[in-house]
Amino acid sequence: MKLLVCVSKTPETTTKITFNGDQTALDTSGVQYIMNPYDEWYALVRALELKEALGAGTVTIINVGPAANDPVIRKGLAIGADEAVRIDKDGGSSLDVAQQIAAYAKENSFDMVFFGKETIDYNGSEVGAMTAELLDVPFVSFATKLEVEGNTATITRDIEGGEETLEVATPFALSAAKGLAEQRIPNMRGIMMAKRKPLNVVAAVETTNHTQVLSYDLPAEKSAVKLVDPEDMDELVRLLSEEAKVI
Amino acid sequence: MAAYLNMDTLRFLLQHTHDLEQILTLPRFADHDVDSINIMLDAIKDFSDQELYPVFREMDEKPVHYADGKIITHPGLGKILRQSAELGVIGGTFDYEDGGLQLPNTVGTATYFIMDAANNNVPGYTGLTMGAAELILHFGSDDLKATYVPKMISGEWGGTMCLTEPQAGSSLSDITTTAYPQADGTYKIKGQKIFISGGDHEHCENFVHLVLARIEGAPAGTKGISLFVVPKFRPTDDGLVPNDVITAGDFQKMGQRGYCTTHLSFGEEDNSTGYLIGEPHRGLGYMFLMMNGARIGVGRGGIAIASAAYHASLQYAQERPQGRRILDNGRKDPNESPTLIIEHADVRRMLFLQKAIYEGGLSLVLQSSKYLDLSLYGPEEDREKYKMLLDILTPITKTFPAEKGREAVDNGLQILGGYGFCSDFVLQQYYRDIRIFAIYEGTTGIQSLDLLSRKITMHNGKALELLAGEMKATIEAALEQPELQKYAAALGGKIKETQEVLGSLLPFAAKGEYERFLADANIFMEYFSTLVVAWQWLQMGVTAKQLSITGAGNFTDDYLEGILHTMRFYFTYEVPKMNGLVEIMRNDEELTLLKEKAHF
Ligand SMILES: Cc1cc2nc3c(=O)[nH]c(=O)nc-3n(C[C@H](O)[C@H](O)[C@H](O)COP(=O)(O)OP(=O)(O)OC[C@H]3O[C@@H](n4cnc5c(N)ncnc54)[C@H](O)[C@@H]3O)c2cc1C
Repeated sequence: MKLLVCVSKTPETTTKITFNGDQTALDTSGVQYIMNPYDEWYALVRALELKEALGAGTVTIINVGPAANDPVIRKGLAIGADEAVRIDKDGGSSLDVAQQIAAYAKENSFDMVFFGKETIDYNGSEVGAMTAELLDVPFVSFATKLEVEGNTATITRDIEGGEETLEVATPFALSAAKGLAEQRIPNMRGIMMAKRKPLNVVAAVETTNHTQVLSYDLPAEKSAVKLVDPEDMDELVRLLSEEAKVI
Repeated sequence: MAAYLNMDTLRFLLQHTHDLEQILTLPRFADHDVDSINIMLDAIKDFSDQELYPVFREMDEKPVHYADGKIITHPGLGKILRQSAELGVIGGTFDYEDGGLQLPNTVGTATYFIMDAANNNVPGYTGLTMGAAELILHFGSDDLKATYVPKMISGEWGGTMCLTEPQAGSSLSDITTTAYPQADGTYKIKGQKIFISGGDHEHCENFVHLVLARIEGAPAGTKGISLFVVPKFRPTDDGLVPNDVITAGDFQKMGQRGYCTTHLSFGEEDNSTGYLIGEPHRGLGYMFLMMNGARIGVGRGGIAIASAAYHASLQYAQERPQGRRILDNGRKDPNESPTLIIEHADVRRMLFLQKAIYEGGLSLVLQSSKYLDLSLYGPEEDREKYKMLLDILTPITKTFPAEKGREAVDNGLQILGGYGFCSDFVLQQYYRDIRIFAIYEGTTGIQSLDLLSRKITMHNGKALELLAGEMKATIEAALEQPELQKYAAALGGKIKETQEVLGSLLPFAAKGEYERFLADANIFMEYFSTLVVAWQWLQMGVTAKQLSITGAGNFTDDYLEGILHTMRFYFTYEVPKMNGLVEIMRNDEELTLLKEKAHF
């Protein structure tokens, strides 16, 4: 079984987000990067577990980005992926990234393509579905359980207010949500050995850009805590209903 | 989760101030690079976040205890020790052929710093196991190596260092544990060892005690001490059999209450077999060869606690509203809402003091680790030089984090006001935990004697000269930055003053008045370690300046300015304290020397 796991690089979770002067890009000064947690903790680990359970197959990780992404990719190899591919292209929209991945995946045909449910920077949740569409394979989003029997996978996914379980035949693509697996901390020997695993750099395919960023804005500041007198339940109800709009 | 360290600071020091990349160019480290080391440090941080920090308070609240002849530790300890071994923290610095990864000691220090900051109850278990395995690897027979080391690296067996006896703590020449030679070349061991860290618990199958003992009839003093492997259970063809090592108790302590401190009794039934390591009578020498590493380890642990306390008190200061700032007219506006305490100058002083001590101390610990690497694996012709630099810095690397770290934690606690004194908040635990660092692995008194009576004078003052040379190289680099010139000059002035101080102390030794010479060794330690850490701060200042020009490392301007500001703080608030210490050392009153009359 050939498994492809798409991984991206995101700012470390404690990063203070600021933008450049004209608000069109993230200000990257002082930013440290990590592998997107949904990709690392859930998608990659579940792919590795499947391979280990089968005792056969390969797990390939793929990233679209510049050479500066290599440390993040190497972490994926350290956690256990067999090989890595970096499509050498800096920047690009979700569609562009999806086109790059789809081109590679088509040529190398995979049984399953894994994504994280979203990246924790732009939270777009777009690349998985776009790639699946370009590959013309089914896409199952927000997967929290995945079992595979022969060529059939049983997947439980989060839906509004609950979850659903469905069956899908390979090849397919899925996006991983919390619960699909548990984070694996790579050990130091594995990290060292990862240097010997192949990291293939592949040229990007030609694409046309369809999106343009006009500006980014930070969400409005959260308002300060309001203390309500415990005797004054009416005021509490009023605030919850009129201001917080939760009841 | 509360922060207990700043990974940017570790990265700043390891990669930039102490130039990890340069260390990695040494042939022994050819398989490593900065990227993979960073992944390792992140992995250790994740492990510390998920497994170590969450049980830190609990290990203190439900401390290790002794019941029915057994030591009972935290129930989660077993899992943590297995995971630590699996991660590779036992023996990561060992040679490949010994099951290691040939990591630099500098990196080993960084990994243990992270774990110590998260939960200082735990890394001692794996660290001591590693230290014991290292001794066997260096000086033991092939048979001992094959029998014991793999099980220690895998974490299945724990390791300990058994030096202290009820009557022999600082003075190891007084140990009485005895080894009786047997016909088969082994020894029967008999004696009591107290305060043995990690000496027994329910999560390891066996314990490998490295015991200092005197072979029957050996000469008195340190020259008659030998080193033995004495397992709790003897490995035999029929499996593990009890080796007459009795755990007589666990010392109940004010701090590090999750880390057992045992009383072990060997050979009560004359059936405790010991296996000699290396040659007879050379045991203390073997121990001392490992001492530099062990003492760096204690320094690292102390400074890690200071880091954790700093971050906890910083968080509190950023959240606690209290009082109002003084306005330009000298009054306060009662209608203004209370300010956060971090706005008060005195609170900021306490924060800077902690930052100055912990970052400066961490830099020192990494500096010594780097010298350890260079002395072992550096270019052949330079090894002697780095060994001397390591030797002279070791007592300071052990003592500064313990003594000044304690002061730092004390200030952290003070920032919390009354809550600092209450068990609901973690500061009191750090305050209790750090206290031991000035005691074990040689008290501050003993380290100070070592510094002044041995290290300063060894090889005719050569080590001191080399150290001054290193400091002068930093001064040269600092003089290129106009903003740093003032501090470079201050350090230069203090180096000169040190020579004058020694010029007034050393004649006592020359005259044979050793007691007088060493009476204020402790004051000299305080003085000299302030100087050494000032040097570290100047190095950090140079690094911050360089990085702000080149942009390397992608640090924010605020971060680099924070480093420079703290350097200025250290030179303004700490270095001048040396003046008072000089005055003390120059006294001719001889107040502490033994006189006939008792004044107490
Ligand atoms: C929690 C804990 C863990 C420990 N772990 C271990 C371990 O794993 N293995 C082990 O072998 N030991 C261990 N020890 C023992 C520790 O190393 C000793 O306690 C320490 O060396 C001091 O010895 P002592 O307690 O006998 O004090 P003493 O030696 O009696 O010292 C008492 C005081 O006298 C001073 N003093 C003593 N001699 C001199 C001198 N010549 N000149 C000036 N001042 C002097 C000391 O500085 C100290 O202030 C541990 C101790 C503790 C508390």
